[in-house]
Amino acid sequence: MPEKWIVLRNCGVIDPKRITTYLDRDGFKALKKALAEMPPEQIIEEIKVSGLRGRGGAGFPCGLKWELARKAQGDEKYVICNADEGEVGTFKDRYILERDPFTLIEAMAIAGYAIGAKRGYIYLRAEYHHLLDLLGKAISQAREKGFLDHFEIAIHEGAGSYICGEESALMESIEGKRGEVRYRPPFPPSRGLWGKPTIINNVETLMNIPQVILNGAHWFNQIGTERSKGTKVFSVSGDVKKPGVYELVLGSQLRELVMDLALAEKVKIIQVGGATGRIIPYDMIDTPLSFETILGAGAITVFDESRDIIDIVHRTIEFLAEECCGKCAPCREGTEVMAEILERFSCGEGVERDIGVLEELSNAMMLSSLCGLGQAAPNPVVDSLQYFRSAYESRIRKN
Amino acid sequence: MGEITVTINGSQLSGSEGMTILEAAQENGIDIPTLCHRPELTPIGACRICVVEVEGSRTLVGSCHTPITQGMVIYTHSPKVLETRKVIVELLLASHCGSCFMCDKANVCELRRIAADLEVGLPRFRVRKRYYPIEDVSPYIVRDLTKCILCRRCVRACNEIKKARVFGIAYRGFDSKVVVDFDQPIDKDVCQDCDVCISFCPTGALSRVKKLGEEKKGKALVISS
Ligand SMILES: Cc1cc2nc3c(=O)[nH]c(=O)nc-3n(C[C@H](O)[C@H](O)[C@H](O)COP(=O)(O)O)c2cc1C
Ligand code: SF4
Ligand code: SF4
Ligand code: FES
Repeated sequence: MPEKWIVLRNCGVIDPKRITTYLDRDGFKALKKALAEMPPEQIIEEIKVSGLRGRGGAGFPCGLKWELARKAQGDEKYVICNADEGEVGTFKDRYILERDPFTLIEAMAIAGYAIGAKRGYIYLRAEYHHLLDLLGKAISQAREKGFLDHFEIAIHEGAGSYICGEESALMESIEGKRGEVRYRPPFPPSRGLWGKPTIINNVETLMNIPQVILNGAHWFNQIGTERSKGTKVFSVSGDVKKPGVYELVLGSQLRELVMDLALAEKVKIIQVGGATGRIIPYDMIDTPLSFETILGAGAITVFDESRDIIDIVHRTIEFLAEECCGKCAPCREGTEVMAEILERFSCGEGVERDIGVLEELSNAMMLSSLCGLGQAAPNPVVDSLQYFRSAYESRIRKN
Repeated sequence: MGEITVTINGSQLSGSEGMTILEAAQENGIDIPTLCHRPELTPIGACRICVVEVEGSRTLVGSCHTPITQGMVIYTHSPKVLETRKVIVELLLASHCGSCFMCDKANVCELRRIAADLEVGLPRFRVRKRYYPIEDVSPYIVRDLTKCILCRRCVRACNEIKKARVFGIAYRGFDSKVVVDFDQPIDKDVCQDCDVCISFCPTGALSRVKKLGEEKKGKALVISS
């Protein structure tokens, strides 16, 4: 399936510093249409019918999330754009924010109107500090043009923590607390930021909204697969000749992206979805990219034949142990134990029993951790044990 | 408050709206182990010992903070639940200092009791131990964080009952630690003699100064349920 630009349609075309260049590309027409012709319920219905699902990793249906927040009781409601982009190997949100901040602002204004929120936040990754000025100016230009009379947008900078990309830790962070996860339920649409109904969406999810409003749910619904509608923006990096950001129709082959577009050679391992994503061998390169198969937040990290699987898994787990918030026991202790075991394997000091221990531990962490980090942290371990088991077996210490 | 019907371990039971799975189970005589939760404190869902299986849920759910909903089908002691609880206790023991014989709270330690109930043996994990110097500068309280399992009961007891807000959490992941101010040893300037946190600590991490050893006096050291 081909490349297609819905999310990236303005990237490289408009001048991100000048709102007029955006207006020339149908900018803010969707917002005008929404405010003038569509009651909030109709907007939400449209998004639901479109089949748009969250692009931040979990794939939750966007329209349903908005509907829950719309129906929730609350004197205040909030819209949050998750621009924390902490997942290893993702850089597509940065690419978008650098080139087209206006579509995001328009989408947030539509979201605010749809759920009945007067205030929105962009939670900006600490390392994206250089974008603060550009985003701030884009918001002021939209305000000056009168597009934000019903809705105010503030930017909140992160402080460099991966877990603050997780929605509940992100809200704690905006509230000025330690970036730690909350248990759920209650979910953010009923009780989110400061206990008020809140929707939180990834940058890319929101970027689709104006096009869905302008072209209609059925237009969007035609693109993609049964349960994965629209396109996905991928961040491709690692052992490829052309690393970068690519937007493909959902359901496209991994092969097309990695081999034909990014020009990889001698591929051995592909990590899809970053540190908490899946690890697959080259044999599986004909897998389609969709919510039904593998996707995550669209980070594609390619490793060629010179790379060592144990090394990759060890580094990934070390990262997760470092970034774990420390609140719940299975993740706080489990990631550390995994890192210890993998470190031994990486220098040929594995013990026979370790493999079983890794499997049992993975299971317990997936089942009992409080949030997605601890639940998905075992993914690289489980996948590498499935597809590259001999690499482990060859690192068991011989007496 | 509406009535809610749930099925726990095959029996139909009823509870009221807003009740947690743990409360509904306890009310019907079903025992679910807990470590971080105390009925007097707001739940935080940190230790995960109380997880149960709920039909239709991808993961196990924390029973101390998850409200019951109509028609919920719950298993509190399925093999999956028991195996998971065992691994969690094993993890907590692995990084724990391990000197129960030397500990004044060995007979009242909740971690030890739960480990015995679940028949957790010597941990297989070779993770590093947490070692911190004992904080004994306060005339009221001794903190031996080497024995801390990060249940945060002290933090919440101090915040919610005494409203003194003496403790906070610092650092991340495995290095997380219950700290006072900018990680200074607890002293009499920040904490008065109220004992609230000590009574909430499930392990030997917090104890009174003068009464050290009291719990053990005249009792044999037994691991029992
Ligand atoms: C450990 C962890 C880190 C996450 N980091 C991000 C992130 O950097 N950006 C993001 O959009 N979502 C991230 N998420 C997902 C969010 O929790 C949330 O699901 C998402 O922002 C919802 O938006 P969506 O429905 O539009 O995808 C993370 C989740 C977890 C568990
Ligand atoms: S799973 Fe890890 S990151 Fe998530 S709440 Fe538990 S300790 Fe924190
Ligand atoms: S000191 Fe005691 S009460 Fe406080 S977190 Fe540690 S184990 Fe829990
Ligand atoms: S008792 Fe429920 S998570 Fe600790």
